[in-house]
Amino acid sequence: SGELYCSLPNPRNVHFESINMKNVLHWSAPEGTGDGVLYKVKYSVYGVGKWIRKPECRNINRTWCDLSRETSDYEEQYYATVKAFLNGMCSDWMETTRFNPLTDTKIDPPMISVSSTEKSISIILTAPEKWNRSPEGEPISLLQVYPGLQYNVSVLNKKTKKRWFFSVSNNTLVVPWLEPGTAYCVSAQIYVTTPLLHSGFSKEYCIDTLKDKTA
Amino acid sequence: EDALLPAPQNISILSINMKHFLTWSPVIVEGETVRYSVEFQGEYEREYANESWIPICECSLITATVCNITEDISATVAYNLRVRADVGASRSEWGTLKGFFNRITTSLTPPLMKVIADGYHLLVELEDMGPAFQFCVLYWKKGQESRMQQKVVKEVSSVVHLDTMEAGPDYCVKAQTYVETINRSSSFSQTQCVRAQGGRSMWL
Amino acid sequence: TAGNKIFHFGPCRISMSMTEIRSGFTAIKANIQARDPIRTLSILSHPHSLHKVKSSDRCCITYHLFNFYVDKVFKHCKTEDSYVNRKISSIANSFLSVKRRLGQCHEQNKCVCGQESAEKFKQILANYEGLNVISAAIKSLGELDILLDWME
Repeated sequence: SGELYCSLPNPRNVHFESINMKNVLHWSAPEGTGDGVLYKVKYSVYGVGKWIRKPECRNINRTWCDLSRETSDYEEQYYATVKAFLNGMCSDWMETTRFNPLTDTKIDPPMISVSSTEKSISIILTAPEKWNRSPEGEPISLLQVYPGLQYNVSVLNKKTKKRWFFSVSNNTLVVPWLEPGTAYCVSAQIYVTTPLLHSGFSKEYCIDTLKDKTA
Repeated sequence: EDALLPAPQNISILSINMKHFLTWSPVIVEGETVRYSVEFQGEYEREYANESWIPICECSLITATVCNITEDISATVAYNLRVRADVGASRSEWGTLKGFFNRITTSLTPPLMKVIADGYHLLVELEDMGPAFQFCVLYWKKGQESRMQQKVVKEVSSVVHLDTMEAGPDYCVKAQTYVETINRSSSFSQTQCVRAQGGRSMWL
Repeated sequence: TAGNKIFHFGPCRISMSMTEIRSGFTAIKANIQARDPIRTLSILSHPHSLHKVKSSDRCCITYHLFNFYVDKVFKHCKTEDSYVNRKISSIANSFLSVKRRLGQCHEQNKCVCGQESAEKFKQILANYEGLNVISAAIKSLGELDILLDWME
């Protein structure tokens, strides 16, 4: 069908928001348009000739569209584009910058599980999983995507208020020779040196070492 | 522009711990403010880009006689540097650094280090010297220098845990910096020894 | 940290400050890619992806690509933006020192070139020469992360 009359203001700030390679396209509504604006989304693989429609994001009124499935191959790079429609008018197609899932994603902090004995605490760290195409399928840890992934672990002695840092390559850490009957709080961060990616620190997990039975 | 203005002299590099500064003597013109501009040229520019020079805009028409060139000296190759002076419409010839500068010649100082005994735990606090730096920390039981242990600390985040200590003997620690990009290390810091004391830290 | 990486291409071992190159590229990525309006062509990744290169050919392809960037690409990427030019100089000088080390490996026959790498590199040159020199150079520079991602 012929192009509609395209003088509607354009969608704004069209960009990917990516966490653990769950890649969601976001944008802001065109300036000065109230309710009723509908949108279409297309995406393309950089270096390949065509724009591909995203049927699930055709004539939608929300301002996001999950393109994780379409951009799950992180050896490729992508563009996406959005067009707005209102009362028979339309906007231009507004594009993202080039999106590289490998370097442009954000990484969640690791999951932590902590156990304790009288004089030690044991920490198990689990890197988040990459967004998965088929939820029933085999999950892929971000460790497989970023082989150089390491953990920064912070251990806080609640009594002395002293905080220590450990840099750990594998996913377990045992801190021995602690004070019995004392609360320790653990939090951890993921960091990858190249490409340079850091997660934030996780929330703190606190645990008490067991009381000294002989005391 | 006539070039009556003398070119800056005594151009030299001050490079410590991968921070590189170009310095020169001031050009004196009575009653006038002299301004200076700095340019650099890497090996790539000399060999592949018609010996082109690249201006450092943070050091363009400045009155200071020092320029922080760290950001631009970001490869381990030989760089040329030059400075010229401006007063009003007068502009000097370029004064060029004698010889090249390669960051591999930076001088590396031992790291500031503080060793802490917290209960039975041996910890070290290291100064953050920037992303180019790692630390090689050696620690041993006093008298057992032959059984020295080593830990490489890449991410400096305040207090770093080294190991646990037995009660009684002194534990000694020293550290040096290592810069991967130039594959060089500093000399070691002073050795510091501490002793575990049933949960109370104890300096020796 | 500086993220120096030792790349093992068979007998050829190359140390490369990846983090410095990546941070230089990240600083100008948006600026450079915005100057490349052609979405439908890639110099490095289509029609054949670098990721399909056999491991035995990786050294040779890397050797050719570093020569390609130093000899052909960087010199045509001068912009009106002094900051961008300084970052390009930083990357170019880092590439030059790696190119030298790869060259030594190649001279010592530690970086053997097979049929596949020759074909792949021929394709890359064909992609490059299919555009005018400035567009091709800017597109190649904008694809530096494709090369770095593949190398890592």
